[in-house]
Amino acid sequence: MKRISALLILMFLPLVALLGCGKKEGPAPQSTGSGSAPEPKAGGELNLFGWSEYIPQEILDGFTKETGIKVNYETFASNEEMLSKLLAGSTRYDLIQPSEYAIEALVKQKKLQPLDPARIPNLKNIAAAFRNQPHDPELKYTVPWMGTTVGIVVNTEKVKEPVKGYKDVFQPKYKGRIVALNDAREIVSWVMVTMGMNANDVTPENLAKIKPTLAEWIKLVKVFDSDSPKTALLNGDVDIGVIWSGEAALLYQENKNKFQFILPTEGAHKAIDSLAIPENAENKIGAEMFMNYILRPEVSKLISDKFPYTNPNTEARKLLTPEQLANPASYPPLAGMETFHDIGKAAADVDKLVTDLKAAQ
Amino acid sequence: MNTATGQVIELQGPRRRPGVRGWLLLAPLLLWLFAFVVAPTAIMLVYSFCERDELGQVVFELSLSSYARVFDATYLKILLSSMKYAAITTVICLVAGYPVAYFIGRAREGVRNRLLMLVMVPFWTSFLIRTYAWMSILKSEGLLNGLLLYLQIISAPLDIMYTPTAVVIGLVYSYLPFMILPIYGSVEKLDNALIEAAFDLGAGPVSAFSHVIVPLTRPGILAGVLLVFIPALGMFAITDLMGGSRVPMIGNVIQNQFGQARDWPFGAALGMTLLLLFSLFFLLGLRKEQEG
Repeated sequence: MKRISALLILMFLPLVALLGCGKKEGPAPQSTGSGSAPEPKAGGELNLFGWSEYIPQEILDGFTKETGIKVNYETFASNEEMLSKLLAGSTRYDLIQPSEYAIEALVKQKKLQPLDPARIPNLKNIAAAFRNQPHDPELKYTVPWMGTTVGIVVNTEKVKEPVKGYKDVFQPKYKGRIVALNDAREIVSWVMVTMGMNANDVTPENLAKIKPTLAEWIKLVKVFDSDSPKTALLNGDVDIGVIWSGEAALLYQENKNKFQFILPTEGAHKAIDSLAIPENAENKIGAEMFMNYILRPEVSKLISDKFPYTNPNTEARKLLTPEQLANPASYPPLAGMETFHDIGKAAADVDKLVTDLKAAQ
Repeated sequence: MNTATGQVIELQGPRRRPGVRGWLLLAPLLLWLFAFVVAPTAIMLVYSFCERDELGQVVFELSLSSYARVFDATYLKILLSSMKYAAITTVICLVAGYPVAYFIGRAREGVRNRLLMLVMVPFWTSFLIRTYAWMSILKSEGLLNGLLLYLQIISAPLDIMYTPTAVVIGLVYSYLPFMILPIYGSVEKLDNALIEAAFDLGAGPVSAFSHVIVPLTRPGILAGVLLVFIPALGMFAITDLMGGSRVPMIGNVIQNQFGQARDWPFGAALGMTLLLLFSLFFLLGLRKEQEG
């Protein structure tokens, strides 16, 4: 028995070590001892809470090199995850990266600090299309990071028929060949627009109406993945999918003859992921310095090189190659598209509905 | 197991209560248990009776609505299917793991240690990395399909990735060592004389195995079954990565409440219900063991 416990300890050691590392890497905002002074220009730390696969490490390094501010970068995979961690309040973040409907909710609850435009002169680089958005019309609280949309990707080697919209994707003949975002709100919105509803009109009546179609669609999907939906397409496990535009852009870069990007005719929606400062941030000045830094054309270009979403920075776009700008998934016509709005408690109904239908298969 | 309890009884002979020194020695463990087991469970218990607001923040208002939702048919169905997966995993681990454990336990000392080492080597890399490795083996254009196609055993790639089979493969792979090690512990202590006696008294190999070896290694089997079944039931990473999140398991549902769904009270209520269920099973098992 003694030997067994020794063995078990041996087995769990790597695990414990891993946990230890995880803790060390995470932001430790309470320990202000490491950031020597409240004066941020002299150093200090910046606790950044951003999307995974969205912020290139070289940008963080460049910022630290120039300002001496150490950036602790923690990641999330959905707005909801970010909100629940932020609002739990145990960790203080100086900078977060919410999308428009999360911004709307946060502004409503007065959880964001207004920005000081004097410290962010590069804000002038933001294109007009990214201003006057309902969630933050005057860019009082947020700096747009990237625009994205959700669209259809087709492996043209396997799918020969023309695909134009959601209803061409979710057909019985593609059963077991589809990848979809693992995001209840997204998939519900696809059915809603296909049935002629507004994607923001999430009411119990509408949810009841879309339920039969949604059930059919969910049965057809092989993989639900929000983190890296391109993987299943690249691996050949599926042939068609509805995924983030940036992921589609990467597939297009990989093989532009094989992977085709299509905006659904029923109506796509756009998302604007932005940087914002939570009300309890400790290093507001450092956060604003970071915002100004990423708005520099040459820095913003680096983001586009790594993560080819829609760059909102007019000056940075001038630095991109014609190929980058010609990528249909990176620069779709975002102009007329609507954004998601905060739907409050209805989010729970949406989640329940999708869980329900997935379990019913 | 039996010898361990025997030692405890002997120790209790002269001194029944632990002295100050005993408590001091226990203190780190007790602190650890309090900080990482008792306190979080208490927090979950409180949360499970709370409400959530528009943004998903926990509101401290007494409410039973989360528990009411636990007994919704959807979640009961998910719980049942998760139990099915966990049970299949446990049975495969037992059938595959027992012979391995027996072989290792009966091997010569030097060989034994080397074999044990091999069982544990996978734990030296992160479990997630190993899961991704399995994905590249099983995927449509992966190693397995490539090999089978090359050898002309199959004509079209097998569809394994993102199916229930892939989930079970992932679960069995991850939890097999947790079955082998406790059984090995029991097998190692097995008295050869008893097995020889069984043969001398006319038992065949089957009868000796089922009437002598299995009962003697029962503590190991039980420990292995618990160590596999319980974590397999709550697992969410493998079902996400290898199952394509298509069929939710109870672990996915709970995880989702703390992420996307932003309903901590409901997640906490699900967790507490599972905890209660396990405690019940455990107590029942314990009582049966004592009776036997």
